[in-house]
Amino acid sequence: MIDTRTRVLSLAEKTSEQFSSLFDRIFAAAHSESVYSKPVISGNYTVITASEVTSGGGFGSGGGIGPELPLSIIKKRPDEAASHAEQVNSGGGGGIGGGGGSAGRPVAVIIIGPEGVTVKPVLDVTKIALAGIATGIVMLTTLRKMRKMSKG
Amino acid sequence: MIRLKDHFRVQTGVGPPVTVGDITVTPQFEAVIVRLASSGFIWNRPTAILVEQNGHITRFPIRDITRILLLWLLSFSLLLSIMSFIKFSRRKVIRP
Repeated sequence: MIDTRTRVLSLAEKTSEQFSSLFDRIFAAAHSESVYSKPVISGNYTVITASEVTSGGGFGSGGGIGPELPLSIIKKRPDEAASHAEQVNSGGGGGIGGGGGSAGRPVAVIIIGPEGVTVKPVLDVTKIALAGIATGIVMLTTLRKMRKMSKG
Repeated sequence: MIRLKDHFRVQTGVGPPVTVGDITVTPQFEAVIVRLASSGFIWNRPTAILVEQNGHITRFPIRDITRILLLWLLSFSLLLSIMSFIKFSRRKVIRP
């Protein structure tokens, strides 16, 4: 029983340590290289892309230990269960799960040329269009409700 | 005692400068880091670039137009919802 508990606990500790190191690697993304690209030279122009980077993750683990004899048998025949207790091995189990993700989106383009430095913003048309459609639907629904209310 | 500082952090920094001719560009960034016991989140974004030319330093802010527009749309729809809610609640009060 003690062995199983120790094993489950050590497994949980190991998992926690592994995920901790994984998180350290995720948080290492807080540097300029993940935001600014390497300069690309084309003729007289040097271009650097500036992007927004978002990443995150989470994990969870759990474990449990108990006798291998089913609880129903222990309840029905406690004497028999007690006599077998020495012989019966204890059981245990554990589980881990985790997930994470990362996303990046270009925000601006920095152009260094003979005319000097220019920062050109990047517009995500798809995102704006989707948000616009959603806002439009909300607006139309609200206006319809208001019209109904004013009539009734 | 759980301190907010241990779990929430805003980190600013600068990247390696890029020199092209007599122009030196130094990028700046800001990272928002949220770290909990078993989860974490990081939001890293560019804030500005410092341009050094002929001894003069100029700061060019980097504006996220997409996010600004999204926030405008969100606040517009929120305002509309609040306005309609106020109108609806007033009508309810008038009716006996």
